[in-house]
Amino acid sequence: MNDSLLMLTVLAAIGLGTPLIFATVGEILTERSGILNLGVQGMMLIGAVAGFWATFTTGNLFLGVVLAVIAGAALSSIHAFLSISLRVSQIVSGLALAIFGTGLASFLGRAGGNPLVGNPSRAVFEPVFTGSITEIPLIGPLLFGQDILVYLSWAVAAGASYYLFHTRMGLSLRAVGEDPASAESAGVNVSRIRYAHVLAGGALAGLGGAYFSLALTPTWQDDPIGAAGWIAIALVILSSWRPGRAVFAAYLFGAAERVQFTLQTLGEPWSDIPSTLLAMLPFVLAIIAMIVLTSGKRARYLGAPEALAIPYFREQR
Amino acid sequence: MTQTSPDTLAVELCGVDKSFYGVKANDDVDFKLAQGEVHALLGENGAGKSTLCSILAGLYRPDSGDVFFEGEEVTFKNPKEALAAGVGMVYQHFRLVSNLTVAENFALGHPDTGVRLNQKQIHKEAKELGEKYDLPIDPAARIWQLSVGEQQRVEILKLLYRNVKILILDEPTAVLTPQEGQALFKTMRQMAAEGRSVIFVSHKLDEVKQVSDRVTVLRNGQTVGGVATADADIKELARMMVGRDLVLPTRDTTEDFGEVMFSVKDIHVPGDRGLEAVNGMSFDIRTGEIIGIAGVSGNGQRELAQGLVGLRTPTAGTVVLDGVDVTKQTVLQHIKAKLGYVPQSRLGMGLAPGLTTEENLAIKAYRSPPFSKGRRLVNSAFRTEGDRVVEEYDIRGVRPGLPIRLLSGGNLQKALVAREIEMEPKVLILRSPTRGLDVGATEQVRNLILKEQARGVAILLISEDLDELLALSDRLLVIFEGEIVGEMPADEATAERLGLLMSGQAEEVSS
Amino acid sequence: MSQRRFIVEPRGLVSWKVRLGVPVASVLAAFVVAGIFLFLTGVNPIEVYAEMLDAAFGTPRGISETLISSTPLILTGVAAAIAFKMLVWNIGGEGQFILGAIVASGVAIWLGDGLPSFVMIVIVIVAGGLGGAMWAAIAAIPRVYLGTNEIITTLMLNFIALALMNFLIFGSSSPWRDPEASMFPQGRPIPENARIPEFFFRLTGGIFIAIALAVFAWYLIGKTRWGFAVRIVGDSSETARYAGIGVARKILTVFLLSGAYAGFAGGLFVAGPVGALDPRSLDLGLGFTGIIVAALAGLHLLAIIPVAILMGALNNAGPSLQAIGVPTATVTMLQGAILIFAVAGEFFINNRIRRPDIEPDQKSEVVPVLEEVEPS
Repeated sequence: MNDSLLMLTVLAAIGLGTPLIFATVGEILTERSGILNLGVQGMMLIGAVAGFWATFTTGNLFLGVVLAVIAGAALSSIHAFLSISLRVSQIVSGLALAIFGTGLASFLGRAGGNPLVGNPSRAVFEPVFTGSITEIPLIGPLLFGQDILVYLSWAVAAGASYYLFHTRMGLSLRAVGEDPASAESAGVNVSRIRYAHVLAGGALAGLGGAYFSLALTPTWQDDPIGAAGWIAIALVILSSWRPGRAVFAAYLFGAAERVQFTLQTLGEPWSDIPSTLLAMLPFVLAIIAMIVLTSGKRARYLGAPEALAIPYFREQR
Repeated sequence: MTQTSPDTLAVELCGVDKSFYGVKANDDVDFKLAQGEVHALLGENGAGKSTLCSILAGLYRPDSGDVFFEGEEVTFKNPKEALAAGVGMVYQHFRLVSNLTVAENFALGHPDTGVRLNQKQIHKEAKELGEKYDLPIDPAARIWQLSVGEQQRVEILKLLYRNVKILILDEPTAVLTPQEGQALFKTMRQMAAEGRSVIFVSHKLDEVKQVSDRVTVLRNGQTVGGVATADADIKELARMMVGRDLVLPTRDTTEDFGEVMFSVKDIHVPGDRGLEAVNGMSFDIRTGEIIGIAGVSGNGQRELAQGLVGLRTPTAGTVVLDGVDVTKQTVLQHIKAKLGYVPQSRLGMGLAPGLTTEENLAIKAYRSPPFSKGRRLVNSAFRTEGDRVVEEYDIRGVRPGLPIRLLSGGNLQKALVAREIEMEPKVLILRSPTRGLDVGATEQVRNLILKEQARGVAILLISEDLDELLALSDRLLVIFEGEIVGEMPADEATAERLGLLMSGQAEEVSS
Repeated sequence: MSQRRFIVEPRGLVSWKVRLGVPVASVLAAFVVAGIFLFLTGVNPIEVYAEMLDAAFGTPRGISETLISSTPLILTGVAAAIAFKMLVWNIGGEGQFILGAIVASGVAIWLGDGLPSFVMIVIVIVAGGLGGAMWAAIAAIPRVYLGTNEIITTLMLNFIALALMNFLIFGSSSPWRDPEASMFPQGRPIPENARIPEFFFRLTGGIFIAIALAVFAWYLIGKTRWGFAVRIVGDSSETARYAGIGVARKILTVFLLSGAYAGFAGGLFVAGPVGALDPRSLDLGLGFTGIIVAALAGLHLLAIIPVAILMGALNNAGPSLQAIGVPTATVTMLQGAILIFAVAGEFFINNRIRRPDIEPDQKSEVVPVLEEVEPS
């Protein structure tokens, strides 16, 4: 039972889904403040390389995570400054950071006398619980066989959801993303909230990147995260900017990624579907969902924060 | 309510000045508001009412003068401080976050420092508040689902939720039905009975008479008078409101008008929220005639103008230009039919802010020679035409490559009017053409309008500036809530008569 | 009121010195930042930059390779610029480039080698444009008619296009696949007569075609009636509507044109140095680099040509870095940094900073108009 195809697929989905949860929830927080950060890919890669380097150098996983979070936040602070204080185009700024982050991460992975590339990590995240509890059918491996970051991802999503909808800060955040002028009238400091949440988004993206290099494929390679950062941006929309739904969207995509392996084991005719076509699947779904979810009446319930990507100019005094 | 002696004024302003880029919006204004009083602030657009209220609400800081709140001098650095002190304002454009619920809007920015957002509690409190003031609301509804009247209720209750002592309402009845208006007045009196003070900004005299205790009239940024409402005479209020000004170019009264060039019959134009903004207006304009439409802004002028030029489609009625029915035609067809339009929004609509002056002068004419030959633009023509027009119309500040938005207001308007005139229109519609202009520019623009009249153009002048209307029009119409409520030839028009009609007062039929 | 240390205000007339100076400063700043990272990893940045300069411009062969790298960048730069000027955020240049390559090579293979070379080359390039425009349409039509935000749709289409190309070559036995490649799947070479002739090492006439297309775009936007209408829409769609211009149509057309130019780049690449639909040669990020080119050129269509050459030089210098033990990712890092500073530079082009006690010089002082704040 625990080795069944379904189980393997689900476990694989959780594997790829976990970094997506971090990055998506992070970007949800950022976009809820009205700032669009297209640089998630760059922040995840920076987190991946920073985390790997820290653990590689010290053998300490915790330090790896901390450095990844700091690195992601640091990179996103550039975007925050450009978008909030200088009020330049958020789209181009985000892309710039994606490109820069990608280049920098790859550079750091190969640079210096003892490059990271090709080396396995000195420490890897292992499942937290071991022993017979993981043998329980179904929930054994699913709930108890995970490493700590997976549990953390659930906590982060739940926490973000509670924060967003059940706290005063979360309310202020939502107001800033919808109508910063009215929020400012009500006494909310728009700039400060935006800065805070762009940094939070970058930090979480960095954490997501670190999951790749410290848990999923703990060897440094040139393309450690695939297109995960870009996928996260699409997942934000598919989860209607709600952290809870982000978990499902992320696992769904994790499963979609693995679907080609699943199909292989099913035999003909399923295994004949080329993996390259299947690779399109997540992105095609994203486009369809985009068009369906954001037009017309539905947009009000499921749509983006109204002030997303519009620079905010404070009123004259 | 905190204990202050009932004699202390809730608010007092002494000698307050406020200017924006050299234009004085408030000029040595004095204002007194007692506790438990409903105080009306009367005046036309541009009189300084909104600026005054914005200063009270903490949005602007006065350049000079003193503001006293309950006997103590205050300076509010921002609206948050004003709210904390107990002053709140309901703006004409609501400050509600559309996608959030009513309860969430209540809670937003509330000084209560709990981390947790207790939705149930807020819902309960909101509902109770609504019942107390007879302004029922559904706390779980999202703002965009509510009607404008309901949204206004939310705005008012939001302030009461913060226990404000002074409530400022900026033209609240502009968006309400008569019944909703009456309900609002009941609420205002209830608040006053509790010891709160209400400032009620309006241009509608009957409402002012009905609900207020005192009236202060502003004109051109200055206080013109303050009376107890019971003692106020409506005619006197109207006269204080509109007043008279310097003598500027006026029309020559002995004009011979030609045939009807522009005929509007029973036109209905929808507003932005689905209601009708223009409810059946009819008028004709002959060649060489200037028809003025007077009215306070927000009574359908914008929708009327847009409906006449093709930017908005009329739902009923006809518009005939020189014998051609243009009612449902496109904007381009209107332009080709020789209809010129000077909109109120200069940089937002009439001119493209980032393009140069010479480019802006060509945005309607570029499709034909001399600006283009076939599909090709003739750049030299832009320059020569541009230079010619700039010279002829005395447009100052123009430099090659300079985006037009950097020109001063007067020059922008001259460019805009010049362009429309150069298109050789048969009919010219202008909205507030001299708004915000200094005397020199006003004189120039008025002269341009009169020259067009002399050329035989049929002109429709929609404005809130009575001086301008009285000086230029041959015949005057008054618009109120989307309808024509009065019509008179220019020599029978007085500011007083117009002021009364603009405020919704029906004229007494003289026997 | 607290005294501010400095005042930020919008600039009036932007002098050419500022327009040129800011991008140059951006590039220099990027080199400095990248240099710091190089230094921190124990490498002498000056040596690295000297090596890059030499690789890009030091030899005639090097110059030819630089120009080859620049060719598609001219076109993807134009593609990005014309879209961004209209506030159409077409970040799908990658995908439109690939579709251009797919359609161009497909048409070339299908037509075979019967037609005269000149005709074939024209057809191939046009086919590339059509491929790119078609791909852009998938995002353009929902944008114009449903208001669907084009950022995500064009972004996703990049990955779909990439997967499509991989499918055609690696995942199936499509006509694009070389039937004679036994060891490893690769793209089928297009017929010789569809190849643009080389004339200077590997440099083909494609560079001239690219420049011509860029100049044509400049002419179209700057010198035609249609282009004028487009510029009005790009500046203020409300004003355009007021002037009788059909705004939706213009936006759609510009979006498709942008896709077409990226497609031209793909078609030229296939007809030029690559000669087939080859995923490894085509997955170069040329669409995104085009955005960098456009941003650095300030969205000015003619300025894109020299900026593209600069980017091409960077791309070309990349491989030579490996020889001296420096990661080729340095180039990507540099390009990313250039874009960051170019974007920040926009702020300095549009605004100036001055001390409150220093009066602005009379020449540039014009009275700004506060239109929409209604003091009344």
